[in-house]
Amino acid sequence: MTPLLSARRLTTCYGERVGCADVSFDLYPGEVLCVVGESGSGKSTLLNTLALRLRAASGRLTYTSAQGESLDLFTLAEARQRLLMRTEWGFVEQNPRDGLRMTVSAGANIGEPLMAIGARHFGKIRATSSEWMRRVELDAGRIDDLPTSFSGGMQQRLQIARNLVTGPRLVLMDEPTAGLDVSVQARLLDLLRTLTAQLHLASVIVTHDIGVARLLAHRLMVMQGGRVVETGLTDQVLDDPQHPYTQLLVSSVLPA
Amino acid sequence: MSDDSIDISFVEDDSLMVRARGIAKTFMLHTQGGQAIAALNGVDLDLRRGECVALVGSSGAGKSTLLRCLYGNYLASAGSIAVRDESNALKYVTLTGAHPHDVLRIRRELIGYVSQFLRVIPRVPALELVAEPLLSRGIDGDEARHRARHWLARLGIPERLWQLAPATFSGGEQQRVNIARGLIAGHPVMLLDEPTASLDATNRAIVAEVIDEARRRGTAMIGIFHDEATRAQLCTRRLELEPLSALAAG
Repeated sequence: MTPLLSARRLTTCYGERVGCADVSFDLYPGEVLCVVGESGSGKSTLLNTLALRLRAASGRLTYTSAQGESLDLFTLAEARQRLLMRTEWGFVEQNPRDGLRMTVSAGANIGEPLMAIGARHFGKIRATSSEWMRRVELDAGRIDDLPTSFSGGMQQRLQIARNLVTGPRLVLMDEPTAGLDVSVQARLLDLLRTLTAQLHLASVIVTHDIGVARLLAHRLMVMQGGRVVETGLTDQVLDDPQHPYTQLLVSSVLPA
Repeated sequence: MSDDSIDISFVEDDSLMVRARGIAKTFMLHTQGGQAIAALNGVDLDLRRGECVALVGSSGAGKSTLLRCLYGNYLASAGSIAVRDESNALKYVTLTGAHPHDVLRIRRELIGYVSQFLRVIPRVPALELVAEPLLSRGIDGDEARHRARHWLARLGIPERLWQLAPATFSGGEQQRVNIARGLIAGHPVMLLDEPTASLDATNRAIVAEVIDEARRRGTAMIGIFHDEATRAQLCTRRLELEPLSALAAG
């Protein structure tokens, strides 16, 4: 099987300071990869590099498009990059307010990405928006409400609907459950787990929460000081961690 | 099994399901001053169709550790583990050193595992948990749920519980959900870690019966069973493990 996304020796710097260094991995269709590590480990830098929001100093990032083309993302024309982001990729922000348009209705938040890829029929767009509200367990009766009137957990589910409505193949997520109450987190995690499996979505999820990683990820990548220190199958890395930092990370989790 | 010659053991011997050679496991405890704990050393195992091997040995002899190595949950420190895989010409796949992507396929298709405890997923109903191994193989949802209902009924889980998440179930009910989930996909190799430990006599008898049925269908099984009676009832032979003394390390 061809990897969907293939990173080779990615290095991203902030001036002199290294954000992430020498990161390589392959992500396959339908696979969920969690990147774990504490603040400053470079995991968010890596995610932003993958999302082409930060420019890598070196390395190579290859994506296999829906048409089967192998695309070198760092040299791809900007217009083509933007098209790809709209049609095949999603990005779920930690703070839903960064990923939503707070001044338009919930329905418009879901409908906009569809219009951006050419949907024009108002009735169909509205029906799809309403269907997606249901899929992320939002009351479709609130389709005309502004997201500002939603709770944090509801906003996060709305952001997920906005990202998934176009049928992306790859979704990048930055701490999608951080800042939510524990009970709200569990619901969101279950939703993410179900949707990624149903839609055969590939996903790179950055989290500092080992519990989130255990529940969602097929594979883990542990980062420390900008570098990947350990990688492997989720339950293997968590139950039999090899690197001193991973052992510390795992042993610091309070038992459930 | 040497790496530089072509191994045809699985082609020549159709009953061979798992071959492990020289399995060692040493835990390096970096957070505790780099202490090394040796759990297994030089374990060899041939597991065949239709047999059930009882792992025996005192507490700390490495029984669970061996099962976890055979599932790829622990990384063996040395040795090799090969599992029958009809999808290639040599009829086996090597678990040790396999890419995570391949380990997931091995678990989906070849090796099943029943742990002592059910890992409860918030909000996921018992029926879905049991159907999941079939769904992950691409079996149609209705068919998977139909078979899941059959297994839950067989294991005596009351129907009113099927649509509930097992977080609130009793230990015995959780364990039976776990067994249903473990056995439903009919993996050719099954690893069993105290499958009957938290069950009352009636349910233990039911579980023993489904395990024995699987073995008689040809499933190769290896497991830890907490009492001699269960071992006598289910197992066809024993593999003795002895505790290794902890090694001091720098």
